[in-house]
This record gives sequence, structure tokens and C-alpha cells, in this order.
Amino acid sequence: MSTMSEEKSIPRVVLVGLASCFGCQINITNVEAHLMEVLGQIDMRYWQLTSSDPMPEAFDVAVVEGAVTTDEAVRTLQRIREQARAVITIGACAATAGIPGMAAAGYEPRANEVYGQAVPAIIDDIACRPRAVADVIEVDYEVPCCPIDPYDFVRVLQKALYGANPYERTSTLCGECKRNERGCFYGRGIMCLGLVTRQGCGARCPDLGRPCNGCAGVSPDANVKGARRVAQHSGIAPARFDKALEMFNQVTQGVQP
Amino acid sequence: MLYRVIDAHELPALVQAFMCDYEVIAPVRSGKSFAFEAIDSFDDIVLDYPTTLTSLKKYYLPPRETLFEYDMVDGVTDYRMEVRPRVLFGAHACDINAINALNLVFEDPRYPDPYYEAHKKATMIVGISCMPGDSCFCHLLDAGEVRSGYDLFLADIGGRYLVSIGSVEGADILEAACDPREATDEDRRAFRDYTRRRQRAFNEDIPSVQEIPMLMDAFHSDDFWEELGSRCLNCTACSSVCPTCYCFDIRDVLDPSGKTGRRERVWDACTSPQFALVTGGHNFRPGPRERVRHRMYHKLNGFNAKHGRYLCVGCGRCVKACKADISPIEVLRFFEQKGIEDGERDAD
Repeated sequence: MSTMSEEKSIPRVVLVGLASCFGCQINITNVEAHLMEVLGQIDMRYWQLTSSDPMPEAFDVAVVEGAVTTDEAVRTLQRIREQARAVITIGACAATAGIPGMAAAGYEPRANEVYGQAVPAIIDDIACRPRAVADVIEVDYEVPCCPIDPYDFVRVLQKALYGANPYERTSTLCGECKRNERGCFYGRGIMCLGLVTRQGCGARCPDLGRPCNGCAGVSPDANVKGARRVAQHSGIAPARFDKALEMFNQVTQGVQP
Repeated sequence: MLYRVIDAHELPALVQAFMCDYEVIAPVRSGKSFAFEAIDSFDDIVLDYPTTLTSLKKYYLPPRETLFEYDMVDGVTDYRMEVRPRVLFGAHACDINAINALNLVFEDPRYPDPYYEAHKKATMIVGISCMPGDSCFCHLLDAGEVRSGYDLFLADIGGRYLVSIGSVEGADILEAACDPREATDEDRRAFRDYTRRRQRAFNEDIPSVQEIPMLMDAFHSDDFWEELGSRCLNCTACSSVCPTCYCFDIRDVLDPSGKTGRRERVWDACTSPQFALVTGGHNFRPGPRERVRHRMYHKLNGFNAKHGRYLCVGCGRCVKACKADISPIEVLRFFEQKGIEDGERDAD
């Protein structure tokens, strides 16, 4: 009898992929040595990457990868939100609309640009302007970056499973970068989006000698205006800075000049 | 204070002697800048380095440190810290003063910190004289000279070092490795010449301001803080590089198994937006104006009230790290400007 109830209490998890490259789903398997331990803590009911079976009706935790680009995705998210006690987004596409979000600018006339007047009816029926998951439903936890760090995913999943405080810091990246004891790209006239990008990744790209491209998303506490001034001071035109931000933050509120 | 003189060519032997029993941390080249790192050879040390990107506090208060471990079966186990005996070789006066300020906090007998204490007990300090760079203002905050907190302090007086001896352990290693001699009057005059040369080398564009703590109170509500805060990028680079920012957060970190984990102490910063966020959702310092002002207050006012010294040692690291040009120098400039304006007003 006790076995039955224990089994019942294991959280049922579903993992859904929307518009994305599925790279974050794949990256989850990169916890390799710990994968069975992680799967042992959950009842994995649905993983889009691994099975063609339809998503079950009942589950406790939903993990969502990808941006919202279709009406079907909107309906899927609404269904997920009704059912799940916790919704976790993984990756930049889900968090900020990411790469699919780049299509947001000039979205409306684009079908006509491609098809002329003969736009197939199905385009209007299924496609919609790209959005982040949190623009459609309430999100409880977020695993940022492109791709996600699999250990960060496990950490956030455990927060959802065991009920930890969802608070995460919103300071921007330079503080973490300094801890790696790296000089600043701006001192060399190289643009880096760490000035406005949310911390948490450990500034690993700058640590490897590459400027931040903003995949963790613009922090809600970012000072974008101030960062443009800093960039300009280092000889980088604000327009170039804004253009670079479009890759992962096309639809983020407050980022547009 | 006990002084001895050694020749410059004896320095490698001194470092070599430390290397026998200690991990030697020293300033080395790191990209376009410098960093304190463990060294294998005396030749890696850059003795006349201007400053480093980050400070020595990482050896006393690591950016991430395990406090204890826990296990679903065995409960909590005290963490046995592996502390390596270390020598911090080549610390500047400002940085030794910074460690002295940290000692006041972490060695407070009411709240002893065993983790800090373990690091401190295992760490020796060999200081070295310096010439100030453009961003240095240690002399304006009583941190340009250091009178305690080191085992040895080496002052370069041209081809030889005037060695100030601060501990028996330091003296023993000096005696064993080198051939220290009594200082002559010529050595003392050379030391005087060095201190004068150094004094003249400070950047005169950084204003010397009297009664800073009182001025911090007098201008607490000035629009200046709004302007300074409006520039802040909320990145916390200032406190990452600061040798005296000691605030930390404590977090429980579960292993992927979900069965074991650690309680960790990690660096925090009062310039982080969540620093003053409390249960219930209220944030006591909700904006950058309040956060930047608070940081400057603690450095230039609050710490003085409690410990009788500034918490800023004028090392100038934040001056370089802050892309928005926010630093104590800006505060000194503001006070200087206010002084001029008030003087003009009184003259009218």
C-alpha cells in the first residue's frame, strides 16, 4: 500500500517543445552521469523529443521550450497552465522569444512580401507574431540562456519539485565577469552585451574570450539607456548596440530605443 | 618597528624559501592587466604592477564557500575545510589596509567567523611598496601607509629593499633565506626620497576633502545621488572588485540526486537589486539611487561610525571596473564642488 501512495506522489512531468531548435531539450541529456538520478525524482510522462505519443491529460510540472509562433502553441500553453502546478520555461526562445522573436519586427506585412496577394489561408490560420511564453501564460520558473546549462535546469526543476523560493538575482553580467578576473571588452573597443544581460551564467562566454551576446535576456533591472552611453563612449554607435540586442531581445519590453 | 635591508638580488631566495612550505600568491600578468595568482617561479611575479583587476579578499572570503554538507540519511556534517598555508606576496599598502578592515568585521568577538579565521590563520602577507596610478587615492582615505597586518613589508629604495618586519615568522624566514643587514642612514635617506617621490605621484585631479563622513550626512538628500544612481547599470562589478565589500548570501545547493547537498556562502552586493528585498516582497532599497548611495555611505560614513576608519581604501579598482564612472572619486568631486558653491554663496 505504501508503495502505491509513494508512486502516486512522484511529480508527473511533461516536456513540450514550441518554436525552437530543440537544442535545450537535447542539452538536458548532457547531465549524463546524473540523468538517471534526475529521472528517478520524477514521473516523466511526456518528452516531445523522445516520443510521438500525445501529451497526457494529467501532470504536475510542465517544462516548455521554444517561442510562441502559432495559435496552436497558444492553446497548448493555456492547456498546460490549467493543468500544471508549476510551469518552467527553458532556453532563450521560451524566455524572450529568442531567435524566432527576430521575426517580430515587421511581422504583419511579411506574408504579403513573400506570397504577394495570394497568401495561403493557412498562414493566417496558424501563424501569429512571435512571443515569449510569459507573454501568453504565467510562468513560475525560468532556465535562461541559449542553450540552457543542464545543471541549471536540474537546479530549477528541483526548485519546482521541492518548493523552493523562486527568487533569482536580476543584476547584470559584469559583476560575475569581474569575478572571473577578466578585463573588459569595452576597454578594447569591443561590444559586449553583458552590460544589460541578466547574470546567472557565470559570464562563461567572456571567460572564454567571447563577448556576451545577450542570450540570458535583458535584465528587468537593466539600464539600457546607460549602457548605450557606455557603448558610445567606447566608440560603438548606439544603433549597433541596439541591433545586437535584437538577436535575443527583439520583443522584450523597454529594450527598443 | 624593526627594519632590515636586503639586496634586490636576494628576493628570489626569499620567495623560494616561502615556496617550500607555502602556496605563494603574487601579482602576475593577466591579459592587459594583472591578477593575484599562485605562482611556480619568482620570474612570473611582476613586482612593479600598478594594481590588479580583483583584490586579495578572495583568499579570506572565497566567492563561493561550502559551510557544511547535508545528506537525507546522515543529516548535517560539519564541513572540513581544506585550508592551504599561503603567502600573499606583493600586496600593496591599500590592500593590506583592506584586509585589516575585513578583520574588524570577521573577528568581531561577538560574531566569530570560523571559516574566515581558518583562512586568516593560514595566511602570511608580504607587502611591497608601490607608485600610485591615475585612479589611486589611498592617501586621501588614510590608507596610503600600512602599520600592521603584514609579516614583512618591502620598500624598494633602489637596488635594495628596506624590510619592515611585522612578525616573528616573517623575521625567521627572512633570516633563513637572505642576509639582512641593519639599515644605514643612507638607506633611511633613500627611503625618505622614495616616500616623497610617491607622495608627489598621486593624481592631483582627485580632490582632497576634509570631514567626509559629516558631508555624507549633510548631503544625504541631494539630487547628486539621483544623478549617480541613474547611471548605475546594476551590475555589481564595483563590489566584485572591491577589496573591502564583504557582504554575502547563504544558499542551500542540492546535488542532482536530490538526496545530498551543501550550504554555501556566496558573495553578495548591496548594489544588487534583490539585496534589500525581504519576505513579503518589500524592497528597502528599490532603486539604484538608494543602492548606490547606500554603498557610498557604508564606505565613507557608516563603517567609520562603528570602526573608526573608512571602508574604502582608495585602491581605485571600482574606478576602472565601473563602466558608468561611479566611484568614491565622484563623491569627493561632488563635495569639492559643493564646497566651492557654498563658499561663493557666503561671499555674496
